[in-house]
Amino acid sequence: MATELPVVNSNGSSSDADKTNFALKSGLARMLQGGVIMDVVNADQARIAEEAGAVAVMALERVPADIRVQGGVARMSDPKMIKEIMKAVTIPVMAKARIGHFVECQILEAIGVDYVDESEVLTPADETYHVEKHPFKIPFVCGCRNLGEALRRINEGAAMSRHFTMADNESNFANVSLTVVRTKGEAGTGDVVEAVKHMRTVTREIQRASTMSNSELYVMAKEIGAPYELLKETAQLKRLPVVNFAAGGIATPADAALMMQLGCDGVFVGSGIFKSGDPARRAKAIVQAVTHFEDATVLAEVSEGLGEAMVGLNVSDLDEGSKLATRGW
Amino acid sequence: MTKDTQPIVVGVLALQGAFSEHIQLLRQAAKSLSAFDAQWTFLEVRTAAQLSQCEALIIPGGESTTISLVAARSNLLDPLREFVKVHRNPTWGTCAGLILLAEAANRTKKGGQELIGGLDVRVNRNHFGRQVESFVTDLDLPFLSQSGGGNMDGGHYPFKAVFIRAPVVEKILPVKEGPQVEEEALDETVIAPSRAPKGAIAKEAIGRPVEIMATLPGRAALLPNGVTTIHPEGGAGDIIAVRQGSMSGG
Repeated sequence: MATELPVVNSNGSSSDADKTNFALKSGLARMLQGGVIMDVVNADQARIAEEAGAVAVMALERVPADIRVQGGVARMSDPKMIKEIMKAVTIPVMAKARIGHFVECQILEAIGVDYVDESEVLTPADETYHVEKHPFKIPFVCGCRNLGEALRRINEGAAMSRHFTMADNESNFANVSLTVVRTKGEAGTGDVVEAVKHMRTVTREIQRASTMSNSELYVMAKEIGAPYELLKETAQLKRLPVVNFAAGGIATPADAALMMQLGCDGVFVGSGIFKSGDPARRAKAIVQAVTHFEDATVLAEVSEGLGEAMVGLNVSDLDEGSKLATRGW
Repeated sequence: MTKDTQPIVVGVLALQGAFSEHIQLLRQAAKSLSAFDAQWTFLEVRTAAQLSQCEALIIPGGESTTISLVAARSNLLDPLREFVKVHRNPTWGTCAGLILLAEAANRTKKGGQELIGGLDVRVNRNHFGRQVESFVTDLDLPFLSQSGGGNMDGGHYPFKAVFIRAPVVEKILPVKEGPQVEEEALDETVIAPSRAPKGAIAKEAIGRPVEIMATLPGRAALLPNGVTTIHPEGGAGDIIAVRQGSMSGG
């Protein structure tokens, strides 16, 4: 079960632009908690997702399983398709951009999508730089495999100036544009093992940091390549300072509940739904599983008779070159 | 000092959305109410059994479509209507919660969505636009100072209100015990099913007028194109918070 993400005190004036920006970007992330975000490639799939109870849909050109099979360069989706999806549903619409491709992000913002996923599932556009997220009005989600990677992504979305005074429980990073971190998992495999590994790694590292003195935290920050202040804040909170979702390889209601019990705030499901035998039914079951993640009776009920799960690939059979999670750093 | 009084149990509907935030703020609020000598228990509600322990309920922000669908599939819609409409227990809806407590709503998902009802208002979903159009504004909330309180720290200054894909109260409806059938006749508008109140208190409560608690002056005209300008009854500005007897939403 997830540790509480402290509420930012909403008292006081909104004149500080940084604070305002953060309230809007983090607010939507908080609204997504306890929900399922589903990958869709067209308006029909988006409607199925909305009817199933998805809190948002992720628009992309091909689901990760197809990207694996078909190969080639995977890019941002056609804006026309994304706009059709936005018209078809009333829930938030997210879309994926390639790592480092800030122009794809600009285009997605111009269309009016609600969130951008700078995603390793697409072919990276830059081998050195991730997108600088601060100039964008819309919030970002990014993948991570460990604490250092999570905090580096959060840092790219952090304000340059941190001059204002904060209430006791307020984040030191009051303008974080990256407001959802997700596990990378190994997308398009239907094998949850990597998502579990990434979540457990982040949790273990936070646990370790939470018992450290300041001087030890300086050393750890250097080791994991993360900013000291962010690491310190994470250690104090005993959780990531942003909403933390599970992603990559989630194929069943049990997988989704497993990630929730490991401490995630919600779940992304990619190929797991629309590559299965009965997408509408499986999607509904996963939504129920995320709400009732601690109730094994409900989990047993919703797991019954879902038909064929996506066939899946064992991550252990993949060669290193075909792993998506190793993209980004 | 503990008295042997029963704690007051306030539930927060925890099907999806910002329920953890509401529980955290309730805990903070309870601390500042310690002078009232009441004990509080705050409960995450996911089942009918948990709901039956509550004396009051908060329905938090989140996705109203998700909360409504999950409630239906968790056999919680009828118990919620019983709690809210038959017994008129104190209930407060924030954002998605306001939509669920409305007797009528439009701009729902295709095919409509289930409402609980309880407030005689029509709500327009996602009125304030998408994420890129979301905003923060300072609001004077007269009911805070009228009720003798200030902000949680005791200060008196404008409340920072955050509007993220937020709904608006488009119309105050005539107070009625039965379903809002005139609303149902409108295009793309859904209504909540009616439930007869039980007991004298609930019967009295259902006839109470809808009070406007807060408005957002002149905002609609400033919205970027693509969002319809609307003129809610009861004066200028968008109605963003209402109260009717034991029900409130905003």
